[in-house]
Amino acid sequence: MSNVVESEAGQRKVVLVGNPNVGKSVLFNALTGSYSVVSNYPGTSVEVLRGDATIAGQSYKVLDTPGMYSLLPITEEERVGRTILLTEAAEVVVHVLDARNIERMLPMTLQLIEAGLPVILAVNILDEAERLGMTIDIPLLSKRLGIPVVGAAFARKRGYDELCAAIAGYTGPAGRAFAYAADLEQDMARIAASMRGSYSLDRRALALLLLQKDEELTAQVATAEGAGFTAIETALREVIFDRRSDLHLTISMERRRLCRSLLDGVVVQSAGQGTSIADRLSDFSLNLWTGIPLLLLILYFVLYVFVGQFGAGTMVDFFEGYLFEEWINPFVIHLGNDYLPWHWLRELIVGEYGVFTLGVRYAVALIMPIVGTFFLAFSVLEDSGYFPRLALLVDRVFKRFGMSGRAVIPIVLGLGCDTMATMVTRTLETVRERIIATILLALAIPCSAQLGVIMGLLSEVPGALAVWTGVIVLIFIVIGLLSARLMPGEKPVFYMEVPPLRMPQLRNVLVKTLSRMHWYFFEIFPLFIIASVLLWAGKMTGGLKALVSLMEPTMHMLGLPNEAAAVFVFGFFRRDFGAAGLYDMQTSGMLSPIQLTVAAVTLTLFVPCVAQFLMMKKERGWSVSLSIFVFVTLTAFGVGALLNKLLIVTGFGL
Amino acid sequence: MICSNCQREIPDQPDPQQESCGACGGGCRKVHCPYCGYANPVVPGFLQRFARGGSNKEK
Repeated sequence: MSNVVESEAGQRKVVLVGNPNVGKSVLFNALTGSYSVVSNYPGTSVEVLRGDATIAGQSYKVLDTPGMYSLLPITEEERVGRTILLTEAAEVVVHVLDARNIERMLPMTLQLIEAGLPVILAVNILDEAERLGMTIDIPLLSKRLGIPVVGAAFARKRGYDELCAAIAGYTGPAGRAFAYAADLEQDMARIAASMRGSYSLDRRALALLLLQKDEELTAQVATAEGAGFTAIETALREVIFDRRSDLHLTISMERRRLCRSLLDGVVVQSAGQGTSIADRLSDFSLNLWTGIPLLLLILYFVLYVFVGQFGAGTMVDFFEGYLFEEWINPFVIHLGNDYLPWHWLRELIVGEYGVFTLGVRYAVALIMPIVGTFFLAFSVLEDSGYFPRLALLVDRVFKRFGMSGRAVIPIVLGLGCDTMATMVTRTLETVRERIIATILLALAIPCSAQLGVIMGLLSEVPGALAVWTGVIVLIFIVIGLLSARLMPGEKPVFYMEVPPLRMPQLRNVLVKTLSRMHWYFFEIFPLFIIASVLLWAGKMTGGLKALVSLMEPTMHMLGLPNEAAAVFVFGFFRRDFGAAGLYDMQTSGMLSPIQLTVAAVTLTLFVPCVAQFLMMKKERGWSVSLSIFVFVTLTAFGVGALLNKLLIVTGFGL
Repeated sequence: MICSNCQREIPDQPDPQQESCGACGGGCRKVHCPYCGYANPVVPGFLQRFARGGSNKEK
């Protein structure tokens, strides 16, 4: 690897690195004054700031790198940041971190030290950390890390002089190595011993990055080693095969363990200070004994009370029952009857499946209030930082289903929209995990609108909601356990950094809710109109009647009236469209309590909508998606028929 | 943009390789976090000014 990319002859360089929003730019401005040059890094669109500084009479070139979280780059910004570190031959690398998040950010300091870079650590925003009751023993941290450490609040000019003195007096990297687990150390030593080339990175650190499949560095090592690379490649392949796990996760967890032990006694949080409530709540949400009751409370208040009772009850009653039924619909139907001369056109606009009377009414009066309340509650939880905690909490449970806590992301997103969630399953670690998550999303995860309508309808019938919840949870567990047993594959490993728990901010919540509403409307409104046109065409040609007749035996098996077949046809267009159809049937008094419960369970389990099926096909291919389609259809109707018999025999108080 | 899940910063101009996912043609109005995979909603134009007012400021 070349050591210098750009010649700034003889001038010493200070490179500032760190996560985004930790105060690098404030430090850069303080060091360089007002004059700096902003330019795109060669071959990229990433901006890098360069400026000149004079520290203790010595002239320096200062570089402000884009925010980066690790030496293993994921984004283009991080790639540029690392390239600068590897090629600019810095005299000093200043790692700036946020004192409040020192535990999350210290792993990168370890990486920089291990890499053999000349690191000075600046623990910034120390004033706010102290205000929150944190005390950081800077000299002890410096001793443990083996590098100069400066406590700072650059925005308040605190620590600036100490940092300048540390830069001026810097004598070179200490060559400190941190001890990983014995097997990992062995692997690193084996890879490092195979290297013959000259590198700007320490070989041990380079070995760690190669074990994490860093493609860019692998290519550079291959060029540097020439024919000798075969030995390194063989060693890498053997180690990765022997470990049979994601080494990136293993290394991240090891580094986290090291950081915890380094910070033991360095960071002291005084009791009774501002963060203690958030910290305690965070601990509650992660502990199995307190986290599960907290989750159930959240589900009860968010899904049942807010989305089910308020969104699907109060709000829908107002929009659908009052605004549309009493004012808008009669007016529009009256206009249609007066001014539309042809029967087919009247049917198309204001008929039984009319664009306005069905499509617009479903989208605006039925679905909008429900998804609106769901998205609002979802955004509050999301902005609080609860979801990563939920992922860690359910990791142990999900492992029994062949998945890891990472699968919480698509499962939670599935409550918003299953189609998008099916696409997100690609982020899961193993193929097996992706298939299991896709099955569960298709079968047992209702989308927000479907969930809201069902909760709103069932909460009015005593016992019905308990039966529906019991059946869906049981199916989720049984299918999850069976899939994990029957499907061969690797067991996933899960690790996630947990961001701080915080009070949701009103602006963030509003922006997220409105953005989702905007997206949802753009997606569903045209589909609702198309669906109503197709249903109208089906009615006019007799196709819909034939389809409903075809489904009569199935409806009979479920104990449902024949008209319910139309709801299942609606449901295949979109899940929420089917739920809206169920709402219409119930409000027309066409269903008994048992029929309502059976229809709600079957409709929830029923085949995914067209969009979700197409996404399944795109993500998993024809054979897997068709198999899931058939399996889900048979399971939905089989469970529905069994439930009907069970409820008729036992009654269950319905 | 800050990821709503892991709270890491997603670059404003994503790597061209990340603009669409796999064979997907895009148009999902989501920004997938390169770090955790979470699907963040794209803030529509009319909300961007309001959203920027709430962005984190450099300390």
